[in-house]
Amino acid sequence: MDQVGSLLNRPKFYYNIDGMGELGGSVMCLGFALLLWLLMRSPADSIWHQISVFGFVGLMFLIHYGTKAVKTRITYPRTGFVEYRKPFHTQAIAAALSALTTVGLAIGFRRHWDNSALASLTGLAFAAVCGYHFARALRWKWVIVGAMAVATFVIAFLPAAVLGALGSESPAHPDRAKLLGTVLLSLMVYGTLLLISGGISLWLYLRHTQPSAQEGQ
Amino acid sequence: MNQQIRTIADLDRVIHEPGRLMIVALLFAVEQADFLYLQHETCMNKGTLSSHLSRLEEAGYVEITKTFRAKIPQTLLRLTESGRQAFEGYRRNLKAAL
Repeated sequence: MDQVGSLLNRPKFYYNIDGMGELGGSVMCLGFALLLWLLMRSPADSIWHQISVFGFVGLMFLIHYGTKAVKTRITYPRTGFVEYRKPFHTQAIAAALSALTTVGLAIGFRRHWDNSALASLTGLAFAAVCGYHFARALRWKWVIVGAMAVATFVIAFLPAAVLGALGSESPAHPDRAKLLGTVLLSLMVYGTLLLISGGISLWLYLRHTQPSAQEGQ
Repeated sequence: MNQQIRTIADLDRVIHEPGRLMIVALLFAVEQADFLYLQHETCMNKGTLSSHLSRLEEAGYVEITKTFRAKIPQTLLRLTESGRQAFEGYRRNLKAAL
């Protein structure tokens, strides 16, 4: 029965067989970091503040269609096409959790709380999600997950002055600057780690698979 | 015949064959997949896989659709509702028998 259970899990692991799951996550983290940095560094009345939402939407499109294009051109001709089931309850739970986290961070951000601890906890949760999705299939990816968790602790214990300097938006709000610095640094570290891990997976995938000449039955 | 032996005797023989069990279990977890994916995951050759799929199609467990992806033929496979029910029943019976 365990073997049947592992067969049922194989399609889930297949999604990241080419490392595209991690590369998509990496583009998301680094893209958010870039958007956040631009928002912090540009003056409040600059046009960038008004059109930043388009940058966010553009990033989402890039991740969605970029991943789709790579899968269509590289993965499907080599190891086959899979369309996943999308049960409503799973999507609803994921959406609710994301919304709760976003609302929690937004409230703390507005009220100028010292929310760096919450940001670090979110980082640990992100590392756990990466472990669940990517590292269960390949053991060496636990090194990446471990590095993410260690980086989260290191960032959490960095001096407030360092984090504040990174997120220096306004000297009047040191807590806010510390939170922004924590988020920015975390996104950059996670994005880089996922880029390395996904890049290695893609390289190994391309090395060990060949495009199928023509399918037949 | 005692209950346990009856449960074993009632196992769905179409699904019980190891090759077909692999195919059904893989398709159960997805909406649909193509022939190449199943071939890659099960490590079966085209002939064997094709013969198992024909048997599953005859039983009404798998729906086979022939299509094209960028001018290359593609065979899409999907577990039917009766195939899903049969697999769930098979797992239940097997658990009970063991």
